[in-house]
Amino acid sequence: MSNFGLLMKGEMLRLIKYKIIQISFVVTILWLLIIFMIGSDQAATFVPIFIFTDAALMTVLLVGASLFYEKQENTLKTLMITPSGLHAIIASKVISAIYLALQSTVIIALFANLLFAVEIRFIALIAFVIVIAFAHTAIGYTFSLFAKDFNELIAQVGAYMIVFAIPTLFYALGVFSEVFETVLMFSPTHAALLMINYTFFSSTRLVLLLIGLAYLIVVPVLLFIYIIIPKYPETAVKD
Amino acid sequence: MEKVFEVKNLQFTYRKNQIKAVNGISFDVYKGEVFGLLGPSGAGKSTTQKILTKLFKDYQGEILYLGKDLKTYNNDYYEDLGVGFELPVHFSKLTGLENMKFFSQLYKNHRDIETLLKAVGLYEDRNRMVSDYSKGMKMRLNFVRAMLNDPKILFLDEVTNGLDPKNARIIKDLIRQFKEAGGTVFLSTHLMNDVEELCDRVAFIRGGEIVEIATPRELKIRFGKRELKVEYFNNGTTSEALFELDGIGENKAFLELINTYEVETMHSGETSLDDIFIKVTGEVGNV
Repeated sequence: MSNFGLLMKGEMLRLIKYKIIQISFVVTILWLLIIFMIGSDQAATFVPIFIFTDAALMTVLLVGASLFYEKQENTLKTLMITPSGLHAIIASKVISAIYLALQSTVIIALFANLLFAVEIRFIALIAFVIVIAFAHTAIGYTFSLFAKDFNELIAQVGAYMIVFAIPTLFYALGVFSEVFETVLMFSPTHAALLMINYTFFSSTRLVLLLIGLAYLIVVPVLLFIYIIIPKYPETAVKD
Repeated sequence: MEKVFEVKNLQFTYRKNQIKAVNGISFDVYKGEVFGLLGPSGAGKSTTQKILTKLFKDYQGEILYLGKDLKTYNNDYYEDLGVGFELPVHFSKLTGLENMKFFSQLYKNHRDIETLLKAVGLYEDRNRMVSDYSKGMKMRLNFVRAMLNDPKILFLDEVTNGLDPKNARIIKDLIRQFKEAGGTVFLSTHLMNDVEELCDRVAFIRGGEIVEIATPRELKIRFGKRELKVEYFNNGTTSEALFELDGIGENKAFLELINTYEVETMHSGETSLDDIFIKVTGEVGNV
């Protein structure tokens, strides 16, 4: 991991030059405008959903697209023939994705807290967003490594949203009854929303919170060990 | 001569389609030589290069690098290598200089980036985004990328692909300079011009198997015809005559012709590498 710091610096430069940080910032501003418009009464309900959308769903899309773009530019391949090592290369990309999620989370949370006095467990929120972004980075990577082209990547992300994210959002908005919660715990997005809700002092069952936390740690670790790390070199090298 | 690589019975099968891309090839690469691996598209050139650069690790057979099993080397192996890929490998939204600075810092050894950029004629464009570069400029930047860490071995895949003759000449001169300074070059190409100008030895690969391995001169002699073609001026027109090269000094007809007529040209029957490529691989190469 000797080159990890240099790779991180390169990743940050890439995020700026490709305007990914700027775009993420613009999206955050849009969330802030929406929060401002919905007012203090509804802020506590909707802010967790916005943070969840940014940290989970946007991460899948952003990481998937970013990796796909790098695949097209062959920069994955040229990094593989440096002394950096595969783990350092992947770790630098994962951390930069987590940074993006944290950037918007902190801005949204501070805005909601300062403007509408929305109560937040800040340390827990930051810790959970790191876990959520880590899990969804793994999911985005998995999609991107298997996608033959950009359309296929978008289709995969779309399918993920329909299968996992929409039921979670329906549940959050009260469309689904609590009976479904056990089934929804198999959804990474539901686990993510549950964790974020906890940080906004929503009534959350501790058992489910711990299950969700464990789930979002175990699933990405398994994805990295069994899919991403073995498949990454093969994808990187492909012409 | 010191062997840089010893490749013995190398085999590689792509898992996805079970195609045997490399099928039991053996060859040595010596220190300070330019070794050319030639063959048509899909013959196994790039696969062999990817194995030697440790991008493909799941191979059968044995590869020794400086006498030691390649599989025992860790990532420090890349400190010795410079790899010039067939396609551009840069961050398009970064400038040429930013790209080179980023990659350079990942190695222990560094060449002066600005000197390299000047050498390939990209210094003036160093602060332009790579997305604004032409294909030829990107390929020249690929070469700079390969040289950044002052490598001992250069792996070059279709290195002059997309370059105009002037820039191709610059790159070929730099390869020659690298070799003269003691560097070893492994060149994969189907461009016979590059081979003719650069390679000390060449191996022809077809269907994952090496079918010929020799110096370009040996190949030309072996595949050429031992004959001499003379074009001479005869009664206002150009005529030609063919003679056996063996015993040419005592060939009366030949001696009489050159004493009687005005000779315009004389050519021995050596063949071009392009002809050899077609004969050996059964495919038409690019001259």
